[in-house]
Amino acid sequence: MSNSDVPDVDVPDFDVVVVGAGPAGSAAALELARAGRSVCLLERGPYPGSKNMYGGVIYGRVLDSLIPNWWEEAPIQRWVTRRSTMLMTGNQALTVDYRSNTWGEAPYNGATAFRPDFDAWLAAKAEAAGAVLICSTTATGLLRDGQRVVGVRTDRPDGDLTARVVICCDGVNSFLAKEAGLYPPSDPANYTLGVKETIALPREVIDERFAVRGNHGVDIEILGCTGKVPGGGFLYTNAESLAVGLVLSLPELAKCGRRPEEILAELKSHPAIAPLIEGGEVKEYSAHMIPEAGYKMMPELIGDGILVAGDAAAMCLAAGIWLEGVNFAIGSGAAAGQAAARAVQRRDTSTAGLGDYRRRLEANFVMTDHRKLKDAPHLVMSDLAQQQLPRIACGVMEQLFTVTNPEPKPGLRKIIRSQMKLNNLKLRDAISQGVKALRTYG
Amino acid sequence: MVVPRGWPWGGVPLLMTAGSANTASLNIVACVKWAELRPEIDPLHGSVGDQPRGSGLSSSDLAAIESALVIAEAWSQSGTESSVTVLCAGPEAADAALQDLLAVGVERVVRLELKEQRSSAQVAECLAAVLTPEHLDAQLVICGDVSADRGSGSVPAFLAHQLGAVQALGLIGLEPTGSGRLTATRRLDGGRRERLLVTAPAVISVEGSVADLRRASLAATLAAKSKKIEVRVLRTDSPVEVHRLRPWRPRPRVLAPPLGDDALSRILALTGAQASSTSSRTLVLDPEQAAEAVLEQLAAWGYLSDAPPT
Ligand SMILES: Cc1cc2nc3c(=O)[nH]c(=O)nc-3n(C[C@H](O)[C@H](O)[C@H](O)COP(=O)(O)OP(=O)(O)OC[C@H]3O[C@@H](n4cnc5c(N)ncnc54)[C@H](O)[C@@H]3O)c2cc1C
Repeated sequence: MSNSDVPDVDVPDFDVVVVGAGPAGSAAALELARAGRSVCLLERGPYPGSKNMYGGVIYGRVLDSLIPNWWEEAPIQRWVTRRSTMLMTGNQALTVDYRSNTWGEAPYNGATAFRPDFDAWLAAKAEAAGAVLICSTTATGLLRDGQRVVGVRTDRPDGDLTARVVICCDGVNSFLAKEAGLYPPSDPANYTLGVKETIALPREVIDERFAVRGNHGVDIEILGCTGKVPGGGFLYTNAESLAVGLVLSLPELAKCGRRPEEILAELKSHPAIAPLIEGGEVKEYSAHMIPEAGYKMMPELIGDGILVAGDAAAMCLAAGIWLEGVNFAIGSGAAAGQAAARAVQRRDTSTAGLGDYRRRLEANFVMTDHRKLKDAPHLVMSDLAQQQLPRIACGVMEQLFTVTNPEPKPGLRKIIRSQMKLNNLKLRDAISQGVKALRTYG
Repeated sequence: MVVPRGWPWGGVPLLMTAGSANTASLNIVACVKWAELRPEIDPLHGSVGDQPRGSGLSSSDLAAIESALVIAEAWSQSGTESSVTVLCAGPEAADAALQDLLAVGVERVVRLELKEQRSSAQVAECLAAVLTPEHLDAQLVICGDVSADRGSGSVPAFLAHQLGAVQALGLIGLEPTGSGRLTATRRLDGGRRERLLVTAPAVISVEGSVADLRRASLAATLAAKSKKIEVRVLRTDSPVEVHRLRPWRPRPRVLAPPLGDDALSRILALTGAQASSTSSRTLVLDPEQAAEAVLEQLAAWGYLSDAPPT
C-alpha cells in the first residue's frame, strides 16, 4: 500500500476487526462487544462454520465463564460418555475403553457437534452482544501505517476496513499473520492433513452398535491405522451419523504417493471398524490442515496493532490421545478479545500495549498445556508410537489370549520380550521412550 | 413482436399501472422465493427432507434481482426515476440473507410469509395482493423462471393474469430500451429465438443464466445491517389441503390395449421391444461430410425449417 493510500486511522471504522468467525474469532468478538468496544467480525464463508471441518468433539469447559449454562442451548449432537483408544494393525485391534455416565450430565465434559451449527451459534452470541458480523467477505491483506497494522483490505468493492486492532483468527496457515511477518518460514513437517467422512446411520443403529442410549455418544481415537504415513484415526458418533477420519503427516503423505481417501478406505474396511459403519451412507467428505506441531511452531502472537489467536497461532493441541483445537481456539480468542479491549481503552494498541494478551495466555490452560505437552506431537508421530507400539500391543494380546494346549501358557514377560524382538524394539529404546513419554504427559 | 396484454379471453381487471408516460417514477419488483436449493427427496415415499441451511434464492431468482437493478439503472438514466423492491415469499430464516439485498441497491425488501401450503395460482393471488397500486405499486414484475424446489414456472403466468399485465416468460436475455420498455429474448424449440418488445406494466421471468447478482460494497453491506426488511403475513381461507403424500411419478400416457395371443407378445407390443424403431445408420465420413449429414438428419426431423416434420 502506498503512503498516499494510508487510511485515516484517527477515526477508524471499528475499534477492532476480527478476521474469521470460527471459535477463536467469535470468542474474541464476544469479549470485545461485551467490553463495549465496536467490533467487526469478518467471515469469508456465507455463514459462520460453513467453511469449517474438524473431527467432531468439543470440550466445553472453557465456555463456562463465557456463556453460563451453555449446555442448555448449545447445538450439540451427543454428549461423549465413552472414550476409547484403539491400537490396531492390519487385522488386529486392542481397545482401552472408558465409560463415565457423569459425562452425560451437566456440566458435561465433551460433546459431538456440527461446526456449521456450533460456529453459527457462537457467532450469534457475539452478534447479540453487539458485534457486527459480515459474511461472504474475505480479508485479502493488511492495511498498514508504517509498521503499524491499521486495518484489513477485503475482497468487496471499496473493501478497506480500518481499526485500532486487527485480531487474526483466520485459522491454520494464516496468511494475515504471515503478511504481518509474525511467522518464520513455514515447514510442512509442522502440519498434518485431516480428512473425514460423515456417514449417515439411523439413531437406533448407532445406539445399538456403540452401546449408548439417548443423547450419549462415543469418541474413539485410533493409532496404527495409517500405514506407513505417521498419523492417527478417529471415529465419533453424532445423533444420526458417524464421523470417521484420519490425520496424516503432510510431507510423509506426499512422499508415499497415496491418496488420503485410499488410506481412509482401508480404515473403514478394518474388521474392527467395518461392522460399526456398515450400511451407512456417506454424506460428506472433507479435508483440512492441522497445525500439528503446536507450541514449537507458534508465531509471534503480538505485533503493532495486531494479535493472532486460535489455529492461526498454531494453538491446536494435537497430542495423541488429545486432539483439542476448538477449546484452545475459544480460550485464546477470548484472551485476545479481552487484551484488545483493554488496549483500546488505554489508547495504546502498540506491541507493548497489547502485551496483556500473552500474560493472559500464560495464566490460563492455553500456554500451560502447550508448553507442558510441547514434545507430545513429535512423540506421537515417532516410529515407536506409530508402528512398533500397535504391533507389539496387539501381538502381546494375541499371544496372551491364544490357548495353546497342550503347550503350557507362556509367561507375560516372555511374550512381551518376544514381541519386542519381533518388532525390532530394544529394551533400552523402550525405556528411554517410556521415560520421555512420562516426562511429556506426566 | 409486441406481447398482447392479459389473457386472450380477457375479462381481467388491470391491477398494474403503466407508470412511465404519466408518472415521475417506476417501481420494479423482483418476486422471488426462499426455497430448498438442494432438496433431498426420499426415494421411497417422496417426502422432501429439510436441509438446515440448504435454503436460499435460486440462481434464476438472483438473476431476476440483478435484472431489476440493471433495468432500473437504465430507465433512470433515460429520464424516469426507477427503483427496485424485492418481494420474497419465505420464512423468517430468510431475513439475514434478504437484508444483504439492501446493500446491492435494492430500495425495499418485503418478505411475504405464507402460512399455509398453496397452489401456484394461490401464491400468485397472494403476491398480486401486495403488488397492487395501494401497496407496492409495481409497474414491472420480474421473477425467476422456476423455483428451485420443483417449481413448474407457472406462478409468473398466474401473476400476469391476476394483475392483467403482459407477460414474457422464461427469458434468456433482457435489454432495457426506453423508459418503461425493454427487449426480451426467449428460447424456442428447434434452437430458434424469439425477440419480444415488452412495455410496462408487465410480468417477466428470467432464466438463471441472464445475470449474476452484483457484489455489494463493504460500506453498503455495513449500512444494510441497520436497515429493516418489512414482513407481511398472509393467511387465506383456502389453503391447499394435502390429503396424501406420495412419490412423484411422471404422468401416465394413455395407450391402446396391446394386441397379441399370449402374454409375451402383448408385452412386446406394449413395450415396443424388438420392434424396429428408427433404423440406426453407421456412417464413416470426414468431418465436413459428417456435419452435412447431421444437418440433413436434423432437417428431416423438422428441427431446422419452419415446415412441420415429415
Ligand atoms: C480433521 C480434524 C479433526 C479435528 N478434530 C477436532 C476435535 O475433535 N476437537 C477439537 O477441539 N478440535 C479438532 N480439530 C481442530 C479444530 O478444528 C481447530 O483447532 C479449530 O477449528 C480452530 O478454530 P479457529 O477459530 O482458530 O479456526 P477455524 O475454525 O479454522 O476458523 C477460521 C475461520 O476464519 C475464516 N477465514 C479464514 N481466512 C479468512 C479470511 N482471509 N477472511 C475472512 N475469513 C477467513 C474461515 O472461513 C473460518 O471460519 C480438528 C481439526 C481437523 C482438521
